[in-house]
Amino acid sequence: MTFSSSYFLSLTTFIYLGAAILYLTYWIFRVEKVGLLATLVTTAGFIIQTLGIALRWIESYKLGYGHAPLSNLYESLVFFSWITILVYLIVEWRVKRRVIGAFVTPFASFAMAYASFSPQVEDSIEPLIPALKSNWLIVHVVTCFLGYGSFAVACGLGVMFLFKDKAKGESKGILGALPSCKVLDELIHQTIVFGFLWLSLGIITGAVWANNAWGTYWSWDPKETWSLITWFIYATALHARFIRGWTGRRIAYLSILGFASVLFTYFGVNFLLSGLHSYGSP
Amino acid sequence: MKALSSRHQSNPIWRFLSSIRLAVFLLITLAITSIIGTVIPQGESLQFYLEHYGPDFFLVLKALHLNDTYHSWWYITLLGLFSVNLIVCTLRRLPFTLKLYKRDSLSITPERLLRMPFKRTWKIRGDLDNISIQTIISSFKEAAGKSREAPDVDGGRLFLAEKGKWSYWGIYALHSSILVIFIGALVGLFLGFKGSVMLAEGKTIDHIVDRDTGGYIPLGFSVHCNRFYISFYDNGEPKEYRSDLTISDGKEILRKSIVVNSPLKYKGITFYQASYRAIPEASLRIVSPDGRQTLLDIPAFQSVLWPEARLTFGLMRYEPENVHGRPAVQIWVQNQAGRVKAFWLLKGNEREFNQGKNSYRISLANINERYLTGLQVKKDPGVWIVWLGFAILIFGFAVVFWVPHQRMWLWVGRQNDKTLVILSGQTNKNRLQFEKNIKKAEEALDSSIGAQK
Ligand code: HEM
Repeated sequence: MTFSSSYFLSLTTFIYLGAAILYLTYWIFRVEKVGLLATLVTTAGFIIQTLGIALRWIESYKLGYGHAPLSNLYESLVFFSWITILVYLIVEWRVKRRVIGAFVTPFASFAMAYASFSPQVEDSIEPLIPALKSNWLIVHVVTCFLGYGSFAVACGLGVMFLFKDKAKGESKGILGALPSCKVLDELIHQTIVFGFLWLSLGIITGAVWANNAWGTYWSWDPKETWSLITWFIYATALHARFIRGWTGRRIAYLSILGFASVLFTYFGVNFLLSGLHSYGSP
Repeated sequence: MKALSSRHQSNPIWRFLSSIRLAVFLLITLAITSIIGTVIPQGESLQFYLEHYGPDFFLVLKALHLNDTYHSWWYITLLGLFSVNLIVCTLRRLPFTLKLYKRDSLSITPERLLRMPFKRTWKIRGDLDNISIQTIISSFKEAAGKSREAPDVDGGRLFLAEKGKWSYWGIYALHSSILVIFIGALVGLFLGFKGSVMLAEGKTIDHIVDRDTGGYIPLGFSVHCNRFYISFYDNGEPKEYRSDLTISDGKEILRKSIVVNSPLKYKGITFYQASYRAIPEASLRIVSPDGRQTLLDIPAFQSVLWPEARLTFGLMRYEPENVHGRPAVQIWVQNQAGRVKAFWLLKGNEREFNQGKNSYRISLANINERYLTGLQVKKDPGVWIVWLGFAILIFGFAVVFWVPHQRMWLWVGRQNDKTLVILSGQTNKNRLQFEKNIKKAEEALDSSIGAQK
């Protein structure tokens, strides 16, 4: 079974690791060709991963289960890394700054590596439990993860901002290669607004689905509550800009804190707390 | 944010309540306090908390209602303050936005146009005839879209192509959607109910049990469970729960099979498949003194009258595997005089039962599992308001995010002995797209002005 989904997906893991190294090399040594190569490798990885996800979907039909590959921790990690790369490629294409890749592709490769190598993560295709049998599953997961992917990018940008801010206007060295604080601040804001829109849609579709499935659009289950906490954090980041004295620094911190909250919503809730969404647990 | 009426500006409480500072404070406070209810299990008995957290923390927990954090007085207060903040802030900014919205972008001077982020000027020696000016104007109109004119501005003609001015209201839609959602939630809280019922196959109910108060809620019609089905995947995981329900009020009104993601709705009340339970039904074989055999089915929680001997039977206990490794049931029997006897029946064994001078032989013929379906029952007249709030939120977001307010001006007039043409523009978002648009206008003007030189 050479061309199975798992073949493509493990290949992706290595490609993204390679891309992350290339972006880091590009950032440190500033060789344009390496940067271009990094973009090409990432794009190739993205295409291969897309194929892998599509194949996995088809395979689940062959097994007789027939569901979108968004139903367990393995699949959601793969999808998270897919969407992070998607959002990143869009940002790179629009902003034309490859350095950002050095701060974002590691997230995608960590996610893939964790999915592929951790013994805690089961990668077999399994049937859907009754509660997940709904078209809302796809809408809900895709919208949430578009938010998560954007927040991963915003977090990378936030880390860049803090590095750059420390450099105090230094224009040489590896910190000089980073975009200016003003540009980064604007980018962080835009990415957060974008992610916030998708997170809001994710919460809304989740509410509509919950209402369809068990009759309450909101039941304060830990996963729901944590997504709301995440939402509050990013709402804070959006509004903090309007308070004098709340400079880019605090917003950069909020973008990192917000992503930590995303990660907790995503993993922490499954591993540490209990609730309706426990399907994500290994 | 300077357009406040002085009456309000001087009022510190009003200023505090409308501040973004308060909004940020509340958002952070809500984020932090919301964690509590995800760490402490919610809705358990007070006994549970006393055992798990000890008497000291128990007092704190009780005072702050941490067993039901999200409905506690302080959490509701935070949400209330948040709503007030949102309302007052909106009211305070309304006049400012209104002024901005009403401002006519045609009342502007050429000097101001030259200070816009996007600008380009052309100078042409001498006077231009009307036809040439007209060409310039129409090429602007063609590139920039629908435009309005102010005929005499500093001795020249001014044109404005403006788009998306209404997008100022997007943020108002977005913010008020939060309030709409709150209102929907309150309507559901006060005018709706949540309950549940366990309904056996073949049974009918016309009321349910309130989830919070435990009281009865009459439905106004009846629900009958025809069948319950459960199916499994090969690996033993449940695949589907399905209840076949009939709604009637004397006569049948509708019949539907419900599964987990597909509920039944009638008269604003919705029935959701939530859980199930299997209960035993004992099938007894009774041999009368004359040798006749009778089969009697006794479901759990019900008594069954056997008319022939005027005996009433009931199932007390069921053990799928007793000490002998066989199924066993404990049966109670009541005779006409009201005397009750209980005994165990083991699968494969037979026992005598004397009633007056007759002796009956009783054995356990079979044990069937019968299903009870667990239904979640809900009425929420506020849910449509919540959906409306969601729709407004998405709409507001789309406007805030994607609809820019774009303005493009063209001024054609005399300056000293030259004809001056100014093209300028401004946008509040999506610069890239706007730059493309204004480039288009610039090129159109370039070619039509180039023709004049
Ligand atoms: C959780 C509820 C809230 C959400 C989802 C929300 C959302 C937003 C968003 C997305 C923006 C646009 C940010 C940008 O474009 O940079 C914004 C701006 C703003 N929000 Fe909120 N907000 C909320 C609560 C509040 C509250 C309670 C206040 C009360 C003071 C407030 C006051 C403002 C103000 C003054 C602006 C600036 C508007 C402008 O740029 O003209 N918001 N809000």
